[in-house]
Amino acid sequence: MVSLADLFGYAFLVPLLMVLSFVIVGLAGTRLKRFEWGGWLAVGFAGAALVVGVLIAAAELMDPSRYTNVQFTWFHLPAAPGVFPNGFSLVAGTLVDPISALMLLVVTVVGFLVMLYSIGYMHHDHGLPRYYAELSLFLAAMSGLVIANNLFEFFLFWELVGVCSYFLIGFYYEKPSASSAAKEAFLVTRVGDVMFLLGIFIYFYYYATTGPSGGWAANGFVFVRGTTPFLAGAMGGQSTVLTVAGIMILGGAAGKSAQFPLHVWLPDAMEGPTTVSALIHAATMVAAGVYLLAVTSLFIGFTSTDQLAIVAVGGFTTFFAATMAVVHPDIKRVIAYSTISQLGYMVLAVGAGFAMVGLFHLFTHAFFKALLFLAAGSVIHAVGTQDLFKMGGLRKSMRVTAAAFAIGGLALAGIPPFAGFWSKDDVLSAVYSQLPSHPAYWPFFVLAVAAVFLTAYYIFRAWFLAFSGDKPRDPTLPHAHEGPWVMQVPLVVLSAFAVGAGLFIFWPNFQGLLLHGAGAAGIPPVYGPADLALSATSVFLGVAGIGLAWALWGHGKVFVLADSSPVQPLRRLLLNRYYFKVGFDWIGAKGVYTVARAADFVDRFVIDGTVHGFERMFAELSDRLRRIQTGVVSDYAAYVVAGLIAVFVLLLFVAPYLVAKFGGG
Amino acid sequence: MSGLPIVGFVGLSAALLAVGIFGILTRRNFILLLIAIEIAMNAGILNFVYFAAYTGGTAGLTGQAIAVVLVGFAATEVAVGLAIVLALNRLRGSINVAEATELRR
Repeated sequence: MVSLADLFGYAFLVPLLMVLSFVIVGLAGTRLKRFEWGGWLAVGFAGAALVVGVLIAAAELMDPSRYTNVQFTWFHLPAAPGVFPNGFSLVAGTLVDPISALMLLVVTVVGFLVMLYSIGYMHHDHGLPRYYAELSLFLAAMSGLVIANNLFEFFLFWELVGVCSYFLIGFYYEKPSASSAAKEAFLVTRVGDVMFLLGIFIYFYYYATTGPSGGWAANGFVFVRGTTPFLAGAMGGQSTVLTVAGIMILGGAAGKSAQFPLHVWLPDAMEGPTTVSALIHAATMVAAGVYLLAVTSLFIGFTSTDQLAIVAVGGFTTFFAATMAVVHPDIKRVIAYSTISQLGYMVLAVGAGFAMVGLFHLFTHAFFKALLFLAAGSVIHAVGTQDLFKMGGLRKSMRVTAAAFAIGGLALAGIPPFAGFWSKDDVLSAVYSQLPSHPAYWPFFVLAVAAVFLTAYYIFRAWFLAFSGDKPRDPTLPHAHEGPWVMQVPLVVLSAFAVGAGLFIFWPNFQGLLLHGAGAAGIPPVYGPADLALSATSVFLGVAGIGLAWALWGHGKVFVLADSSPVQPLRRLLLNRYYFKVGFDWIGAKGVYTVARAADFVDRFVIDGTVHGFERMFAELSDRLRRIQTGVVSDYAAYVVAGLIAVFVLLLFVAPYLVAKFGGG
Repeated sequence: MSGLPIVGFVGLSAALLAVGIFGILTRRNFILLLIAIEIAMNAGILNFVYFAAYTGGTAGLTGQAIAVVLVGFAATEVAVGLAIVLALNRLRGSINVAEATELRR
């Protein structure tokens, strides 16, 4: 009998379909003008991938206890004494388990909707075959990463995701700011990638002999499900090494997920098309970092020091990024900062030991963040600017967009029953439940709670600025109108998810997915009185934030901070992003340049100087020596005679004297 | 034969050599230079002849033979030298060796 679960062995179809789309659109896109330069083709492939992804997720939901690992061994080195006493394998394969099914759902749904939306949004742009091909490859890489069953395959797709984000952020490569933002994204995440690779090497070296089937290396570094993460237990004696490896993994995730202090690239990545931002922020690039942390914590394990570090990074980033969003005038950058902040919540949850709670927030966040970006894209498409202070009154002409943005905002602010409330509340109560045993988490918990208020404030500040009031503040803006249906449908679908995705938590099968994904540890918290108080607090903070935004910016008002105001320096600090970019630039321009200049000095004057010094010495000497060549025959004869006399003197006088003095035979 | 006066003969050839070397170092005329070289060379040949006679017997014949060969060498050397003199004269219109310094570099 054929059942849906048979599909688990065919999970590779999802990346394969998108790779096919990449190849076909990339090669033949310029001849497919009738199909929106291959765009409809890419939508078709994304739709097929969506069907496979949804079916796999559905089958996993029906029976959440299933772990289906399909693999083939690429090569196997036989056992040899030394580092790999049990041999060493490299395998390629797919693992369908609760977490990868969940992620696959997110990636395919958001990917398909973004692809569909692009048809409308990108219609007037040039280079569309390149755009759709790269978008396809991006989705292929991300879905490949999600279903990878071992650490090396994971890293391979991880790098592919990175390079695709580089391509797409720099899509408008004629713009210097776009190409430099692409380079920035690539280089900053590269710092994280190097750390990730170091982490893999440490695991590689220390866990060659431990783990399932007599050695993780012999097993091809496949993620194996156990009741507890196997390596943490097996390598208790190596906890320092494990800590270092965990910090390296955290570094890789921080680079990809734009966590402090590697967050600088994400706001600049707004230089890409808005659709790309939506994809990067919701389903692909930044989700990979959180997914890496979750996978590592479930299959490999973190030490308690690592956990504290992860909680610290996540909790701090949550607040830190939210403060920067408060003052920014660019609609896309406000949402970008909110992504960094929300990713902080996910990292926080994973660090506190609740990987599945973090992934639940990732799941809901993917929908409402994609919604917010696509709504913002709709606005930008209509008015042609990203400056919030030029917009205003768009509510009247763009009802669907205004409603979608509001729903996304409510979900982001954590107002029940919207999606963000349930997952954010889970994150907060998960961390709260760890506070008695880990008092060090307190400051980061407080920061995360405080960020709820800021989040609600800044997203509704953006909403009021763009949509409330009577008319745009800049009268030169074109008359706004809704986009075509391909842009509205994704907004409606994502709105439905943004409203309802959080309610999934009440579906027993979905709960089962989260429970089984977590193994024995990291079960989502049950709701009790303390949680109720916490929920009430966070909802109150959210409502207060919205209220403040309404008071300051509602009805098209513009709140202008007086120049003499004491918080003016703070505002400048936030607008300048805490001078982080300036600082990094300074490190690059001054620090590295100084070192480079010193190296240049050594190279030029010490090393080259020595070489040139020898050269000049011999040139000088030979020039002196050359002068004895007069060309006059008598002079040469004189030298010969002088030499002869010298030989005679040597033989007749010096040699006998030396023999007499020192003896000899 | 061993009664020959060594100091006299060796002194004669040493004097000849000194005269030759003096000529080589001081003469600027190519022909005079060649003559000086001949004188210095003949000092050497004279030494061969003298020491061959001093040694005597068959062993001494070797010295005499070398002396004859060296006379031949001296003749060829003069032939080559005079050819150079002619060529130099044709080239520069002068046989002053101090002026012929082109081969310096």
